[in-house]
Amino acid sequence: MKHVLIFLFWLFVAVVAISLTIVLGERGAWYFAWVLGTVMIVLIAAAGTAVIDARYDEHHDDQY
Amino acid sequence: MQELDTVIELSRTQFAATALYHYLFVPLTLGLSVLLATMETIYVITGRDIYRQMTHFWSKLFAINFALGVATGLTMEFEFGTNWSTYSHFVGDIFGAPLAIEGLMAFFLESTFVGLMLFGWGKLSRGKHLLVTYMVALGSNLSALWILVANGYMQNPVGSVFNPDTMRMELTSLPDLIFSPEAQAKFVHTSIAGYVTAAIFVVGISSFYLLRRRHIELAKRSFRVAALFGVFATVGVISLGDALGFINGSAQPTKLAAMEGLWETAEAPAGFNLIAWPNQEEKRNDFELQVPYLLTPLVTHTFDESIPGVSDLEVDAEAKIRDGIPALTALQTLRENPDDAEARATFEAHQDNLGYALLVQRYVEDVSQATDAQIAKAAADTIPPVAPVFWSFRVMVVTAFLMMAFLILAVIYSLRNTLHRHNWFLRLAPWMIPVPFIANEAGWIVAELGRQPWTVYGQLPTWLSASTHSVGYMIFSLVGFVLLYTLFIVIEMYLMVKFIRLGPSEDTHVPQTEPTQRHSSQWSEA
Repeated sequence: MKHVLIFLFWLFVAVVAISLTIVLGERGAWYFAWVLGTVMIVLIAAAGTAVIDARYDEHHDDQY
Repeated sequence: MQELDTVIELSRTQFAATALYHYLFVPLTLGLSVLLATMETIYVITGRDIYRQMTHFWSKLFAINFALGVATGLTMEFEFGTNWSTYSHFVGDIFGAPLAIEGLMAFFLESTFVGLMLFGWGKLSRGKHLLVTYMVALGSNLSALWILVANGYMQNPVGSVFNPDTMRMELTSLPDLIFSPEAQAKFVHTSIAGYVTAAIFVVGISSFYLLRRRHIELAKRSFRVAALFGVFATVGVISLGDALGFINGSAQPTKLAAMEGLWETAEAPAGFNLIAWPNQEEKRNDFELQVPYLLTPLVTHTFDESIPGVSDLEVDAEAKIRDGIPALTALQTLRENPDDAEARATFEAHQDNLGYALLVQRYVEDVSQATDAQIAKAAADTIPPVAPVFWSFRVMVVTAFLMMAFLILAVIYSLRNTLHRHNWFLRLAPWMIPVPFIANEAGWIVAELGRQPWTVYGQLPTWLSASTHSVGYMIFSLVGFVLLYTLFIVIEMYLMVKFIRLGPSEDTHVPQTEPTQRHSSQWSEA
């Protein structure tokens, strides 16, 4: 039951995201660009930092 | 008229001073909130405590900045009513709604979640605290969205119509207002400029620590995440700035002419004035250094469109003034007799240029008696002060490219782990902290001084918008604001410097949110 609820929650999120995309894509292309751009900036900065951190840890590199 | 002019100039000075001051805090709040969310995301994903310490440390600086940003923003909301009552009456139906939503966003959504973010450590689970931090970032930026929707209306009034019976602009389409290209482009450009501001702020302070070999683990990671965050944001802010300029070109050709120092219409392919000394009295540039062929594609995104200069725009304005005069005369008749069908028909035929007729009323009470010289003078008024707009624009552009170059180097050195070999860069970085603030202020001047002589472009002249205070009252309140805000900036600088000098060492007592075994087995604690 819990998994079904989690699935339904994410399904709802996906439907909202698709609806927003349609509405914003039609009338608010710049707002849509901001949403996408912000998500990309956050993801690249977060993932990039975590990956680089792990790489230097593997090499026991304590330089900066 | 002399006293009225003085009151208007004092009202403008007061608003510009308070807005420019408030705008010192806003971009850092917008960007640092998203950067905090980024840092905390890494904490939640990796489980490494160093990222929690980072989030907690930078959130303290965020809180100082946020408090002063809200306090100074409040003043401005009241200022619309006290100093710009005619403006507030004229566009209250449209301006009021976004301003009220902005207030709700800032004081309810954003402030509530800021409290939870600052005091929720150890009380909320990791996931919930992360959600709270994202809500702070969303609240900050949505708050900015609504004020920029309102500002977008001032730059390009859409979704409304003037009602001659109520003497107010009335909203006809909320979606047109919210989704106006001006509002959209202004929001994305301003918000992303905030990201750049925050990135350079964090890189600068982290460099200060690295140079002094203090808090190295926290500083090098803060540097890295901010550099990556900032480098993409600078690319965004430059490209979105170009988009805003393109939209301005069609919505506000007078601002564009001032930004580019264009006195005569530039036929394609026009050269871009890299440097110029605009001479507004003689309507020419005393000196100019041009990059050939660049302006046309830059401004029109084509290779064959011409760009109107000041001379042609003044001719255009004269025609609009002459067309608007019957509308203003008819409006005065309608105010005495609302049932006058002929006056209403005349008004409706000419109402598009009513605002232009209001410009000439500054020089003659009965606009139907306006002379050619008075109309020409009013037409010349439609051109904003060229030199300050021209130079502010160049300051903004040059600093934007400077920040991009700086952040590209920051990313390269950080990703190669060679920062320790580039002490010159670490020494430079703290001096870069004021640069985005200068760029933001310059951008504000371009946008708002470039809008003159209008409060609502093409609809309501600035000279008609102010309240009817006495000169003494305006001087008293202006001096009061200057003294109070000087005190604020001293407090802000004192607190910022104090907490930066203290560093994150005091943070270690902060309780962790529940650790997960899975994370701690995969990642060694820093």
